[in-house]
Amino acid sequence: MEEKVLVVDQQKCTGCRQCELVCSVYHTGSSNPSRSRIKVFKWEHVGIYLPLICNHCEKAYCLEVCPTKACHREPELNNRVVIDKNLCIGCKTCIMACPFDHPFFDVTERVTVKCDYCDGDPQCVAFCYAKAVFFADADQMNIGKKREAANKFLESIKQIR
Amino acid sequence: MGMRTEPIHPIRTMRYLKPQEHWGWIIAIYLYLAGMGAGSYIIGTVMNWFVHPSSVVTIWGQPLDTAKAALLWGPILVAIGAPFLILDLGIKKRFLYACLNPRTSWVARGFIILSIFIIFGLVLLAKSALPFGWLHAESGLWYIPEVIAFAFAFGTALYTGILLKATKSIPLWNTYFLPLLFLVSALSTGSMAIVLSTLGSGLFPHDATVVKVLIGGEQILVVIEGIVLYLYLSRRYRASEQGKDSVRLLLFGEKKFIFWGGIVLLGFIFPFVLESIASFYHGNVWLIFSSGVILLCGGFFLRLGVLSAGIKEQIPMQRWTEFQYDLRKMN
Repeated sequence: MEEKVLVVDQQKCTGCRQCELVCSVYHTGSSNPSRSRIKVFKWEHVGIYLPLICNHCEKAYCLEVCPTKACHREPELNNRVVIDKNLCIGCKTCIMACPFDHPFFDVTERVTVKCDYCDGDPQCVAFCYAKAVFFADADQMNIGKKREAANKFLESIKQIR
Repeated sequence: MGMRTEPIHPIRTMRYLKPQEHWGWIIAIYLYLAGMGAGSYIIGTVMNWFVHPSSVVTIWGQPLDTAKAALLWGPILVAIGAPFLILDLGIKKRFLYACLNPRTSWVARGFIILSIFIIFGLVLLAKSALPFGWLHAESGLWYIPEVIAFAFAFGTALYTGILLKATKSIPLWNTYFLPLLFLVSALSTGSMAIVLSTLGSGLFPHDATVVKVLIGGEQILVVIEGIVLYLYLSRRYRASEQGKDSVRLLLFGEKKFIFWGGIVLLGFIFPFVLESIASFYHGNVWLIFSSGVILLCGGFFLRLGVLSAGIKEQIPMQRWTEFQYDLRKMN
């Protein structure tokens, strides 16, 4: 099976927060964005919206710091990093370690939760009408091109600063 | 044109100036008790090795060596502190799972370090305080567990800092100065705790040479702690943007009462002044007592201040969103 990744196109995001709603409904059964696994950060006054998702990092800090191995990688399911609800003790160390502010503490279940790609059918992708979030094959994401663009971007930042 | 302060970049929202709120006062109590317990055990063991105090009293027909009890009670404090860590867990009854991943996780390693220290420390405390004949308390073999417990006491004191250092995305914590600061603070509060317990139990008269040496050592440790604290904060201030924010938050922002009132006044200035006054009055016991209690409070506020001022590094996309904003402004 081809490995897939969640990709965000920030330019398309309208900040409607539909993804937060469907995510919480899918995972918890309650329509409560505070329990969602995707968070949209808004800079309302300048009109910038940034949906933050788990990157399932290759070198995942959450996985490293987890004292119980509840946070683990599943190579067979898109190489995702997930937290085993039955092992998590809710110590919040992974929340502190993640540079993306990702795993969230679920106050109802008393454990830490994170994006699990909805077992291969991400609901945020299915319901995002602006198509700002999509689930694509990892090799089709053209890593080379992206790196080139990133380097260009780095150069331009250096010129600006 | 009037004076205008430079506005915060509109993209740098409050989120980035907000300190973490996941670890609060419960963790601070745990860090403090573990540090002070380990520090007092280190100082107490050194005294036990070199001074050999002993004063056996009989309670309910049982012999009890109060001198050893007054020196080696540190593990009890650590054992009281550890449940606070459990109290902070989401699902408390699963706390035993916390030792499952010592290969990469410092929380798991800490669980093991603390457990070994508590077990060895409590056994040694029981053995020293209850001089039963069948324990062969004078046997040289007891040095082996004593050295192990001594080493793990250092481990416990350092671990309280390493636990925070392992959080790489909070620049205020991600430095080797933090374990060092917590170790020195553990030793200074620990030696003060030993001074209080030896004076309180009437083990030494308040003008005994041992007590004077202890108090002198404690004052030196407090000075070293102040220097390390200064170095730590100044390095963190220069380390990164969020390190700077953290230090500013602690020194001039919301947390300034914890820093100036709790850490500086209670932890450094008051005890120092009171002890200096006490030395004029031939070591007045009440002055030493009050300065000790104040110093111990300062140790707690040091942990609370460092914990509550930890600001996460900005998300990697932050620079990019700022760039987006600048582009829009140009067009």
